Amino acid sequence: MASIGHIVARTPAGEVLSRAQQRAMLVPDCLVEARRIANTVISGWHGRRKRGIGENFWQFRPYSDGESLSRIDWRRSARDDHTYVRDREWEAAHTIWLWADLSPSMMYKSTLGSVSKESRALVLMLALAEILARSGERIGCPGVMEPISARNAAERLATAIMLSPLAEGLPETGMIRSASDLVLIGDFLDPTDRIMERLGPLARRGLRGHVVEIADPAEEVFPYAGRTEFSDPETGQKLTAGRAEILREDYQRAYLARRESLGVTLRHLGWTFTPHRTDRPASEALVAVHMYLSGMPGRAPHGGQL
Amino acid sequence: MTGLPFLFANPALLAALIALPVIWWLLRMTPPKPAAEVFPPLRILASVLKREETPSKSPWWLTLLRMLMAAAVILAIADPVVNPRQNTLATGGPLAIVVDNSWATATDWEQRVDAVSTLIDDAEARDLAVSIAFTGDRQHDATPGSAATARNRLAAAAPIPLAVDRGQAIAALKTAFEGTKPGTLAFVSDGIEATDQKTMAALAEVGAAELRLIEADGSRTVALTDTSNGSTGMSVTATRLRKDGALTLPIVAYDTRGRAIADGQVAFAAGDGVAKGSIEAPFELRNDFARIGIENAATAGSVHLLDDGFRRRRVALLSGEARDLSQPLLSPLYYINRALAPYADLVQPHETDLAVAIPELLEQKPSVLIMADIGRLPEEIYPKLSKWIDNGGMLIRFAGPRLAAAPADDPLVPVTLRQGERALGGALSWSEPQPLADYPANSPFAGMARPNDILVKRQVLAEPTADLAERTWASLADGTPLVTTSARGAGRIILFHVSAEATWSNLPISGDFVEMLRRSVQLSRGGGVANEGKAQQQTLAPYRLLNADGVLVAETGNARPLDVIPGKAPVATAENPPGLYGSEDGFTALNLLPRNAELQPIDMTAAGAHTVQQLAGSESWSLKPALFTLALLLLLVDALIVLFLGGAFSRPRAAKAMTAALLLAASAFLVSPPDVLADDSRPEDAAILERLDTTHLAYVVTGESEVDRLSDRGLMGLTDFLTYRTTLEPGTPVGLDIAKDELSFYPIIYWPVSASAPMPSPQAVSRIDAYMRAGGTVLFDTRDQFSSLGAASGGTSPNTERLQAILANLDIPPLEPVPTDHVLTKAFYLLSNFPGRYTGSPLWIEAQLDNREEASNRPARSGDGVTPIMITGNDFAGAWAVDANGIALLPTVPPDEMQREYAFRSGVNIMMYMLTGNYKADQVHVPALLERLGQ
Repeated sequence: MASIGHIVARTPAGEVLSRAQQRAMLVPDCLVEARRIANTVISGWHGRRKRGIGENFWQFRPYSDGESLSRIDWRRSARDDHTYVRDREWEAAHTIWLWADLSPSMMYKSTLGSVSKESRALVLMLALAEILARSGERIGCPGVMEPISARNAAERLATAIMLSPLAEGLPETGMIRSASDLVLIGDFLDPTDRIMERLGPLARRGLRGHVVEIADPAEEVFPYAGRTEFSDPETGQKLTAGRAEILREDYQRAYLARRESLGVTLRHLGWTFTPHRTDRPASEALVAVHMYLSGMPGRAPHGGQL
Repeated sequence: MTGLPFLFANPALLAALIALPVIWWLLRMTPPKPAAEVFPPLRILASVLKREETPSKSPWWLTLLRMLMAAAVILAIADPVVNPRQNTLATGGPLAIVVDNSWATATDWEQRVDAVSTLIDDAEARDLAVSIAFTGDRQHDATPGSAATARNRLAAAAPIPLAVDRGQAIAALKTAFEGTKPGTLAFVSDGIEATDQKTMAALAEVGAAELRLIEADGSRTVALTDTSNGSTGMSVTATRLRKDGALTLPIVAYDTRGRAIADGQVAFAAGDGVAKGSIEAPFELRNDFARIGIENAATAGSVHLLDDGFRRRRVALLSGEARDLSQPLLSPLYYINRALAPYADLVQPHETDLAVAIPELLEQKPSVLIMADIGRLPEEIYPKLSKWIDNGGMLIRFAGPRLAAAPADDPLVPVTLRQGERALGGALSWSEPQPLADYPANSPFAGMARPNDILVKRQVLAEPTADLAERTWASLADGTPLVTTSARGAGRIILFHVSAEATWSNLPISGDFVEMLRRSVQLSRGGGVANEGKAQQQTLAPYRLLNADGVLVAETGNARPLDVIPGKAPVATAENPPGLYGSEDGFTALNLLPRNAELQPIDMTAAGAHTVQQLAGSESWSLKPALFTLALLLLLVDALIVLFLGGAFSRPRAAKAMTAALLLAASAFLVSPPDVLADDSRPEDAAILERLDTTHLAYVVTGESEVDRLSDRGLMGLTDFLTYRTTLEPGTPVGLDIAKDELSFYPIIYWPVSASAPMPSPQAVSRIDAYMRAGGTVLFDTRDQFSSLGAASGGTSPNTERLQAILANLDIPPLEPVPTDHVLTKAFYLLSNFPGRYTGSPLWIEAQLDNREEASNRPARSGDGVTPIMITGNDFAGAWAVDANGIALLPTVPPDEMQREYAFRSGVNIMMYMLTGNYKADQVHVPALLERLGQ
């Protein structure tokens, strides 16, 4: 009997890039909603049409108690009896780090899924890079590429990945220096507490994270029956089940419990969590992450989750 | 024979054993190779898979088990046969065959015939003449003849229900082979050596070229030799031929129609040739036993026939004593019970009222009725008892104080008795206690040694008559009879002139007492020794005979009548085969083996050169079923192991279900439904309980209102006095109708005798008799102390005459006035006389016979029990009677208030004596006890 799941070769970056661009074309420009102002001097492409740190005048508004006196525009205030503060339009560009897990467990595709998990993760990452670059955000990849703000950021990210493959596991965070957004794409099959050991410090540094969990349908549905020997692609460990079908219920419970606990823990950090299955279109996850980045989760289908 | 003890019927199939390594390899392959799957979330799966891990290879011992299973199946198909027959005959001369056809060959006779037929076939194939002799035949013809003749004779032969005498057969064989020597001499043996014969040595002398002994293993050759009837079951003695190994055989008792009605078993210990077993069955059932047999052993030896002599007799016991329950060693029935219990079945009445008890006992159809110290029976009982004796019952009586006091016209004694008893030894007598004389020759006790240690101190005497010597079965050294007897109709009366407890003599505590009673009871059997033990020879015709299969058949063949010589056990012979001799009414059983016989195996010491061969047919058997069974068992074991390894018993749900099932099963045993008792309360229960809660004084309602009123008020006065002066606080007095009311609640019944009142019915008097026998006391008060004065010389008042009329139907002991040292005088107050309204009349109580020689310095005599009767004429109730205000109703005569006080004190003493018995007599030892204690 042919096995259900198998290991696939790494997807070529070029192919992924073209697919990602196709996906990205379906998604409107992403305007990152920054709740915390990144105190950066690098200006973005276009104003945010709201007050903030920038060079262009935005509005005068009456002074309210408690504000710093140095912010009072004395010139305008001298015109009448009120005291005014000059607001500028916020034009700061935001940095968004994209990262995909390319560990061996991601090189997996079952007969139920349409593509391998690795392929789907790369597509999602590059599509996001494309969309965000279109919006003028600064795109970076921890450990691989410094943040850049360029229209062809997706191509350059693809090239960087091609030249220096992504480290396995969770990202090197040495490059991340300031408050920014982080999009993590992977299968997150490690135990929750081990994942949180790595992610917890990032959250404390003020990073805002968006986690996309890529799962193969076979991992979730467990369609095995009969005597089956399971092997782990990462450790090579083998496990034989006499009658796999009787395990299905227990396994599904354990699997979903892991996902649930990971999601809850991440949301406590203020991060978002998006599970995604490879038998679904990549656009679903893309739209969901897009909504989160845009600060409009309520308008995403399924309440922001798939 | 080859080296192997078995051969294969299909040896070619053993080639399949080559396939075993292949099977091994196949078995090692299992379980099937699993489907390989890459599975990234293996860690999660591992967390749920822990319990499921199974080894990829089955353990080696499981494989070995399956290999054994396969090997067993292959071997079973190859059909190994143990002990196949291979035979060759010596060709030097004719074939001689000696065949045992005794009782022991009945079970495997077919196999023996097969074995002999095979020999004859072999001889025919080699053109040898055949000589055949059967040891059980009366005439023997051992001349060698053709095989066909031998076959005909073999077909005609059959086992006989007797042990065989091989001497004649072997002699005939020797005669037949005078000139020529036989080639092969085959002896088809039953394995039993006849007494004083050396069969093998004798056979060796015939001089055959080859001596061959063909025998069965004999492990089932078992015979019953003896049975004896015990108290709870019938014990059976069995003997067997092979003594090695323990053997347990079921035995069955059959009735006359051949139905199995009881069973037991005989267990031989390893190395024992004789064993005893028993059949436990109630006595009635045992009387129906006609035949004891070993189950599934159809031989004449395994059957033991029974006749009438085995039946146990039923003996009914009656006693006139009231004190049976509390002091068994003083009860005559105790000794009779102990003496007869091993030999007979004893029944005792439930009622104490003799008018009820004796018919109840006779209903149970006893063979013997024993009456210990009963002087007088209710009048209507005599005809019933006489009729029973005439019909064949045996009455055994023992003397005692009551019998000694009984009138001389008792119809139920064998000899005329003098009234009163004779005391041997004592202060006023020169005579010494007497030992027993030799038992007379006409007595059933003849043959027992004269006992030297028995001394008779007291006896009742027979009037000398001409036939007294004939009627005497045992006498004292001075010639006075001790045991007399007389035949009445078909029955018999036997009288022991001493009491059945040890007060009159030490006979009841001697071994002779047991033997005398046993022999007497034996006599009550219908047939047998009816003529007083005289020897008589009988000749009995055969009635039913035992055939070789152990079945009783009516066909008597040429059996001859059996001469029964007393004292000599008949022996089963060819003329008198075992069976029943006599007629349907009475028969004697003749069994195959004599008592104490033992089966001995054939003596092989002097056998010479010979070969021993088992009966082929009985020994050649296939191993196929055993091997298949083994394979099936291994399969079951394998299935269990696989289930166990698969965790079928460790899964929580299965374990829970198992626990639940076990708990359910256990609870079914442990939890029993709450006891549900039927409501058996009766309306009068409350009244009975009220009577039992407190002691009540009681009086007999005579029917005359004035007498009854005085009795009631008198007892009321005594009740008040008792309540005031003593710790006894009786309830209100109760008037009793002795014909109807239950009497047993009251310790004493006051009976004012009145001549003008109606005479109580015999039933009422009988009830009073039973009440006294059960331990109650009646205080008769004639109230005529002064009215009898008028009739100066020996005149009796009407009340006294009425009392005599009443007492005439009661069985009462001898009486005496209260002696000065009697416990009645010391029970509460110290009294010298017992006045009532009158004074002067003595208080009569039961005489205490045996205490006269006691030390005179004792202040009180210790009698046993309480007197059942008191008689006075002093009108106690008149002195006690008070009205509601406590004022005396009647004056005392003479008018002396001290006399009334003494009358009350008499009442208190009587009540205390009733309730405490001889306890006060024991109290007189208190000073001595205190002295010993050093106080």
